[in-house]
Amino acid sequence: MEENKSLAVQVSPLRSMTMEKRKKVIAFFKELGFEFNISRFDDRLIAQKIVCLLDLKGIDLGYSCSMYVRGPYSPDLTQDLFGFTREFENLETGSRLTTAEKETADDLGRIFGLKTVPLEVGATYGFYTMRQNSDPLEASRQVKRLKPFYSEAQIALGISKAKEFLYKPTRKDLEDLKKETGIWQRASLKSLEH
Amino acid sequence: MQNDILSILNESEGLNAKVFSLVRLKLLASLSVLGPDGATYRELKAALDINDGVLFANLNVLKDMGYLTSEKITSEGKELELYTITTEGQDEWKRTKAWLCRFLHCGA
Repeated sequence: MEENKSLAVQVSPLRSMTMEKRKKVIAFFKELGFEFNISRFDDRLIAQKIVCLLDLKGIDLGYSCSMYVRGPYSPDLTQDLFGFTREFENLETGSRLTTAEKETADDLGRIFGLKTVPLEVGATYGFYTMRQNSDPLEASRQVKRLKPFYSEAQIALGISKAKEFLYKPTRKDLEDLKKETGIWQRASLKSLEH
Repeated sequence: MQNDILSILNESEGLNAKVFSLVRLKLLASLSVLGPDGATYRELKAALDINDGVLFANLNVLKDMGYLTSEKITSEGKELELYTITTEGQDEWKRTKAWLCRFLHCGA
């Protein structure tokens, strides 16, 4: 009897791992203030793009993203969203984000603001540049080919947000920028003296 | 070996021949991975590079066969048509894929 009891509470390592990854994603949703609703197409899209952008940022949530007709996408995540809908909708999680993960979530929320178009364009652009090693020009061409229903302005905004989120400027980038803009800054300060 | 090829070819009789067009195979392959999430008409059109007439006609054939369903959804304030694969569609795609794999190994 005692033996049966202990068997009942045992969870297989695989099941525990899949539960853990789900709970981590929910923790990110919670941090982002994302109130997921399975019946809303846009919410399912936002969920996918959040996970793929975090993946590109180097946060491995266990849901691998590949390129499908809907852009970067994780069929495993779809399975979990539909299989454990209540957990996602009620943000049921015991998982906690590390400080670095919280910062990344805050950056993502601040830059993209849970808006479908920039998230979709940004994730697609990021996937082409980082996973398929396309140069920036080729990547934006691919985004336009895959998402022709978005305007030039929407695509440009999504790409700029992707760059802001995915690429941290190097020390050299910052020095170059300082050199380039320094002359204007000095001129501007000088004009204030008059 | 000859017998094996013949038996594989004969197994194709269990498949729906109407699925065997490039456009329909592309649609079933694309929608099967998305499951209940589905894809919108405009996403399918852009990603698969199929013109409106061909896409619309083939989506309707797959719908009539009970392999796809469609519904109107709203995204970013726009009304769009969403296509989703049915259980019958998933089963037919699995059967077709399994047969194609067997057939191609046989020919290799």
